[in-house]
Amino acid sequence: MHELPQNLANGLFLGAMYGLIAVGYTMVYGIIQLINFAHGEIFMTGAFGALAVYSKLGANVSIWLALPLMIVGGVATATLVAVLAERFAYRPLRNAPRLAPLITAIGLSIFLQQLVWGFPGNKSARVFPQLPGGPFHLGSVVFQSADIFVVVAAVLSTLFLAYFVRSTRTGRAMQATAQDPDTAKLMGIDTDKVIVIAFAIGAVFAAIAGISSGLRYGQIEYNMGFLNGLFAFTAAVLGGIGNIYGAMLGGLVLGLAQTLSAAYIQYIPGMSQFGSQDWSGVWAFVILILVLMFRPQGLLGERVADRA
Amino acid sequence: MTDTKTLTTEQPDQAALKPAVRMPAAVAHGLAIGGGALTAASAFLAWTYSSSFPGDLTISGYPGGLQWLTLTAGLLTALMGVIAAVPGLRVLAPGNPGNATLLFAVGGVAVTWFTLIAIAVQLHGLVNLTSGGWVAGVASLIALVGTLGLPRAPGSTVCAPTRAEWLQTLYAGAGLLAVGYLLHLTGNGAAGLVMAGAGVVPIARLCIVLKHYTGPTPTLRAAKRLPVAVDVVLMILMLALALEIFAYGVDTPYGQLFVGFLAVLCFSLWALSQSGLLRRATEIFERNRAWAAVLGFLTAAAFVFVQQSDADAALGVNVLIFAATALGLNVVVGLAGLLDLGYVAFLGVGAYAAALVSGAVTSSVHATFPFWAAALTGAAVSGIFGVLLGAPTLRVRGDYLAIVTLGFGEIFRIVVSNLDGVSGPNVTGGPNGIVNIPDLSILGFNLGNPHTILGATIGRFANYFWLMLIIMAIIMLVFSRAADSRIGRAWVAIREDETAATAMGINGFRFKLLAFALGAALAGLAGTVMAHVNFSVVPDPFVFAGPVPPNSAFLLAAVVIGGMGTVSGPIVGATLFYLLQQKLTFLQSNELLIFGVALILFMRLRPEGIIASRRRQLEFHEAEDAPAAQLSTAGA
Repeated sequence: MHELPQNLANGLFLGAMYGLIAVGYTMVYGIIQLINFAHGEIFMTGAFGALAVYSKLGANVSIWLALPLMIVGGVATATLVAVLAERFAYRPLRNAPRLAPLITAIGLSIFLQQLVWGFPGNKSARVFPQLPGGPFHLGSVVFQSADIFVVVAAVLSTLFLAYFVRSTRTGRAMQATAQDPDTAKLMGIDTDKVIVIAFAIGAVFAAIAGISSGLRYGQIEYNMGFLNGLFAFTAAVLGGIGNIYGAMLGGLVLGLAQTLSAAYIQYIPGMSQFGSQDWSGVWAFVILILVLMFRPQGLLGERVADRA
Repeated sequence: MTDTKTLTTEQPDQAALKPAVRMPAAVAHGLAIGGGALTAASAFLAWTYSSSFPGDLTISGYPGGLQWLTLTAGLLTALMGVIAAVPGLRVLAPGNPGNATLLFAVGGVAVTWFTLIAIAVQLHGLVNLTSGGWVAGVASLIALVGTLGLPRAPGSTVCAPTRAEWLQTLYAGAGLLAVGYLLHLTGNGAAGLVMAGAGVVPIARLCIVLKHYTGPTPTLRAAKRLPVAVDVVLMILMLALALEIFAYGVDTPYGQLFVGFLAVLCFSLWALSQSGLLRRATEIFERNRAWAAVLGFLTAAAFVFVQQSDADAALGVNVLIFAATALGLNVVVGLAGLLDLGYVAFLGVGAYAAALVSGAVTSSVHATFPFWAAALTGAAVSGIFGVLLGAPTLRVRGDYLAIVTLGFGEIFRIVVSNLDGVSGPNVTGGPNGIVNIPDLSILGFNLGNPHTILGATIGRFANYFWLMLIIMAIIMLVFSRAADSRIGRAWVAIREDETAATAMGINGFRFKLLAFALGAALAGLAGTVMAHVNFSVVPDPFVFAGPVPPNSAFLLAAVVIGGMGTVSGPIVGATLFYLLQQKLTFLQSNELLIFGVALILFMRLRPEGIIASRRRQLEFHEAEDAPAAQLSTAGA
């Protein structure tokens, strides 16, 4: 059991990334009750936007100079894609039956994946720059600079979001819209604007998660958003969909569960063959099913407006 | 004052609508008929100097390749032109024969000019066209001008686009062109496609103009009943014609011909519906449902006799497997309104179950079931998986089902790849799958060997085509019986408003679970045949989105674009998709992109699909009737 601290740390790093993506799912769901399937692809476009900036800068620019520009590039790409998607794909279907926006989201997800796939270069995996420094040691735990990046990004983002939602005018307008869109509209809130902002904030967080993913694994792929998006949605449900803090908490719990299951399930008698990394996705999925069975409102309870 | 003015411009006196080209009626009729006949005749001329354009259009006196399509469109234009000109022939086209002539002529212009442009582009320059090609192009335009001079049909509306619509078209086209150019600069493989999309925008606008110009499909009073024998003969003739057209489409050897074929087919179907003939045909099939079902089945079975090679039969059996699975998905998505994004996994469960009990050497279960038992096993195992997955998720809000099934579809592939004895127990053979699955033998009839029936050799795939046809018939029967029963009405009620349905005493959870399990079982049934047809079962094809059908994204697209909740919708959608991805090889790396865009566009413009179920149509366009709908229902 001496590797437990290391596993816990790895779980937290993974979970912080899931949490960053899950915020986008949960905000959009909380306001317009739409599962934005294309959010995983927003995460992916964020990573690719950053990589595009890096490749334009050239290899001899210091990574510490390039990183802020990459973050700006990734965030700008992801936000642009998300806002365009909202404007042209989702907004016209605001009042359509619920199947219509869901299918649109699927179409958008396929479209974005294939569009990114079309860019020249290695189709399966593209090399993402690495942060220098490390490995760092803290007791028996070893971690890399990229792990610090993701944890710092997650903490800062959560603090920012907490401030934004509680203390700014737009944040309060968002809360009001989530609770009751019609009344919010009557109170003079521009709900269309609020929805766009929700999409944009989700995209910013997803882009940061995408860059962390690239930095941690050293490579990105056109279909990286598919499984990560799926797990992040699971995290959002786990924490209580519609609840922003729940998304972060759900992400951390799911990251820990995946890492620990990969490490320890093999010691359970009779399960020796189900413990490897290959099965960790399966266990995450089992967790989703169990949550839906026993606590469908999630750990912190969902904050979804009552529906007529 | 201004109000009255707007009213009059928006709802003009219908009698005042003038044809697009003013000319005496006799001249218009003459130009339409003459143009049509000339178009048909020009197909016999040589269109190009070079035989390097596929289909060899260099021969005078005999049409080749795309010229056959021009010939067909020209003849149909002339024929319908005669019917429109002679009042005594009105009985042959009880609807709007003038509109029908126009649409046939448009089809002729489309295919002729498509061919000419394709020749010029492919052989680099207009010089490759001979005078024959120009004659064909001009003749098709003469027919079009003539038909545009025919009197407008009652019910047609103002067709000129508004300023806003013009701007919309302009922005969409220019935007796509700009994006395509940017992608081209980065070397993106989809750049050409996006720019081609810019070309489609004005064509789509023209089609909308045409739709307003012709007006709605004419409504007719029911025709006099004919004796059943006459009906049956008519049905046989129509089905034989349909089979011949379908076989021609399947057999098209190159992409250009297939595009031309689709253009002529689409405009002809539109023309036939305007002429009222489609309505009459539907009446005949509707009043003899039993006969229609039997004859339809026999026609489909006769497909193996009219096709050229066993390769076409292989195409046929794959289309059927795809269509049968899509129809199963339609129970879940179309009838019950549950979005299942991992549906292909149930096909996989059925295929693996059948492979395990097939007696293959690589199977970890050393048992050989007869086919009926294997089919039932596949369907049952699949159904059980459906219940296991549905029971926890269907109790909560419907949206969760979509993501859970998406997860299940992905997990299924991971699990079967890991059950290889190394990283898991040995059940499925891992990435290598279960191979060398023996051919089926039903009642001593080995489906693996060619047989000679009625002097024709029926190859291996043709045998499986017949087996799959029987399974398809069973699935169609289950679907239509379920849809028309109390269960089907309960599904529709849940789909439209679950709260109201529950208040009416419907147990929402139980019916949703039934739909989900039934859909899973039908996919499993199709999977059992798929395992034998393909000789092997491997994890790779069972993905969410991949280049080859069936995968979950293709299945969903076939159902949604074909028409949710109908029997024929998914079949049409599946056939169209399979043929498109087989025939248009130049799209192969981009077809998923097109499907993604098609899903978005269909949801925006025609959410009820190509073949619309009446109920779905009303449901999807409810919001347009009540524009003040609340925001709170958005996406929910």
